[in-house]
Amino acid sequence: MTTLTRQDLNFGQVVADILCEFLEVAIHLILYVREVYPSGIFQKRKKYNVPVQNDAEKVVVVIMDKEHHPVERFVFEMSQPPLLSISSDTLLSHVEQLLRAFILKISVCDAVLNNNPPGCSFSVLVHTRDAATRNMEKVQVIKDFPWIVADEQEAHMQEPRLIPLKTMTSDIVKMQLYVEERAQKT
Amino acid sequence: ASDTSKEQAKYDLSSGSNKKVILLPCRNPPSRERVQLWLEARRQYESLQTGL
Repeated sequence: MTTLTRQDLNFGQVVADILCEFLEVAIHLILYVREVYPSGIFQKRKKYNVPVQNDAEKVVVVIMDKEHHPVERFVFEMSQPPLLSISSDTLLSHVEQLLRAFILKISVCDAVLNNNPPGCSFSVLVHTRDAATRNMEKVQVIKDFPWIVADEQEAHMQEPRLIPLKTMTSDIVKMQLYVEERAQKT
Repeated sequence: ASDTSKEQAKYDLSSGSNKKVILLPCRNPPSRERVQLWLEARRQYESLQTGL
């Protein structure tokens, strides 16, 4: 078994690629399961690519009602464990298995959530650091698709019901997913 | 309160600090109605294609 160090394979980029692929699938699945868009636009795929900064600490998919008030928030909290080396086997199979469990939990989360009101939309919030935003501004893809600082009402929900969905600890990332649901959705 | 936080964010950026910030895309996603129209147009297009 080949053991790879962080320098060997640009550790941060590998982690970012895996997480981006996972988040794209997860966000599409949330929009499908929570019926934000008609089911006809989604296609079945076997494999699990949303550009996200390496420095993201939290990615939140917010589902909002017609008045743009949050009704549900799917919170992905991520951190990197302090590990010096990783194995290629661990990277490719174990982590994917752990992430697959998140996808499965999202696919059945409608059983523990109340129905959303009609006409909902969504947004994605990224909790990061100032230094990351300065790096973002230099990237062309971000210039073409600009990000702005969120307003207070977009970033928080008052007295939500908390529903833990899944946690994982691996060699490359620690992550937990929970849903914050507004008590009164209508 | 939101104006204050935006001003604070601007100040933090210019001062070179590394405080926490929450970002979101400037563009809104397409509405459900718009997506529904697109889906219907695609279905019509596909049925025309198969009918040829």
